Amino acid sequence: MAALLSEEDRKYLVDLFEKELKGEVKILFFGSKKKEECEYCELTEQILQELAETSNKITIENHDFDDEEALAKQYNVEMVPAILMLDANGKDMRIRFYGIPSGYEFSSLIEDVIATSKNGAVELSKDTIEKLQDVKSPLKLQVFVTPTCPYCPKAVLMAHKLAMQSSNIVGEMIEANEFPDLSMQYNVSSVPHIIINDGEGEFVGALPEEAFVEQVISVVKEA
Amino acid sequence: MPLFNLSNVSKPVELNYDVAIVGAGPGGLSAAIYAGRAGLKTIVFEKATEGGQILLTDMIEDYPGFTSISGNALADEFLSHAKAFGANFANEEIVEVDLESNPKKLKTDLGNEYTAKTVVIATGSNPKKLGVKGEDEFLNRGVSYCAVCDGSFFKGKRVVVVGGGDSAVEEGLYMTKIANEVTLVHRRDKLRAQKIAQDRAFKSNMKFIWNTVVTEIGGTKNVEYVILKNVQTGETTKHETDGVFIYVGLTPNVEIFKKYIKTDENGFILADDHMETNVKGVYAVGDIRKTPLRQIVTAASDGAIAVIDMTKYF
Repeated sequence: MAALLSEEDRKYLVDLFEKELKGEVKILFFGSKKKEECEYCELTEQILQELAETSNKITIENHDFDDEEALAKQYNVEMVPAILMLDANGKDMRIRFYGIPSGYEFSSLIEDVIATSKNGAVELSKDTIEKLQDVKSPLKLQVFVTPTCPYCPKAVLMAHKLAMQSSNIVGEMIEANEFPDLSMQYNVSSVPHIIINDGEGEFVGALPEEAFVEQVISVVKEA
Repeated sequence: MPLFNLSNVSKPVELNYDVAIVGAGPGGLSAAIYAGRAGLKTIVFEKATEGGQILLTDMIEDYPGFTSISGNALADEFLSHAKAFGANFANEEIVEVDLESNPKKLKTDLGNEYTAKTVVIATGSNPKKLGVKGEDEFLNRGVSYCAVCDGSFFKGKRVVVVGGGDSAVEEGLYMTKIANEVTLVHRRDKLRAQKIAQDRAFKSNMKFIWNTVVTEIGGTKNVEYVILKNVQTGETTKHETDGVFIYVGLTPNVEIFKKYIKTDENGFILADDHMETNVKGVYAVGDIRKTPLRQIVTAASDGAIAVIDMTKYF
């Protein structure tokens, strides 16, 4: 199959990773051989492969969602294609990509690789870090996106940053078109649409950090 | 658009600059190109993805040099052009500014405080709300202001597009490729959009309801109907639809600057012939400015004029 990354983008990534990657990054990919159930698995696997070839600090581990049930369960992987990242110490960054990270979301994937190479050290305001102390029980942030939505990466990255910062938070990107039932369940018709704890809270739009955190914390406080 | 887009990957290097450009649409990016070429240390802040509103446009055919180019591809050209001349980029949202201090201060949502000797306000505008019953209630249940973002949720469904300008007609045309039925509702008896877009719309399977306004958006869980009112006869009808795309004008993103900067009654910034505002060293370019035309080419022009004038401060 022809390369998905243009030569220009490939070179850009080689340079960027050379400069930015500190430690090793292991990307776990869960796919399925059943093409009718996972239209984008093959394409996702290929783009990850090409990504790994841009730096020797990045490795990809491919897993089969159907055959490796125990492993999928261990990482709470619920559907495919799924991507998650482990740092050099094998620590799960608690970020998930469900669906192909294409279009504008490819940038989110790259940012996450860089943050993972720094063991999940992310830039957040002091205020946010303080507020996250209040998150004492598991919290799931699902960010529904489409690849053509220019506002969406901001929301995805915010959810992912919060997950890297707080050990109780899991941050997910969900490509809405690939998971129509789930999107329907949460009435997603305008993106980014953020679902907190399976529907305990929700909001729409790429809010600035403070407002985003406020929304998340309001659910924690109600509980 | 490219299947895998990298425009969002950007990291600031430090906090003190000659020029801070707030917003990376055509106006901001054009200013960044000229500032880079003038040897000014430049940073561009973008809260979403570099490119601004052109990213919401499917195809662009009125920017010289490109007969037809996707909004996304043109944004990419602008961005790599600005980067080639040394502009720095930060994916941070400016939440507070002090334009009276010297240098001027800009605080971002990540808590970083940047300084710059001059500031270019290029924050552009957002789609204006219709201001009718049900609009907020159904915001994430069928009401949208971004066809390229949300269009795919209306595959095979019926949508109403409100407005008669370029955006309404062009995004309506985009929706005819996805939705089963596209009805454009316009308060006048003719479109305001460019002639070529009008011709295409009339040739497409788009339906038109003239002299009519939407007075209510309703449904149970999701949008199910709009109430239409004919402005000539006063007659109201119920029109069934699954989605409402609203393109009735623009509202300026001016809030954080209002304390310092003079605007017109609609919030658009007043600038002189050189794009300078009432505050020395602070410029306004593109859609945010009170201007007779809001196009990519005029925003780009604004950016150039502003930076050439600004060099007097260095």
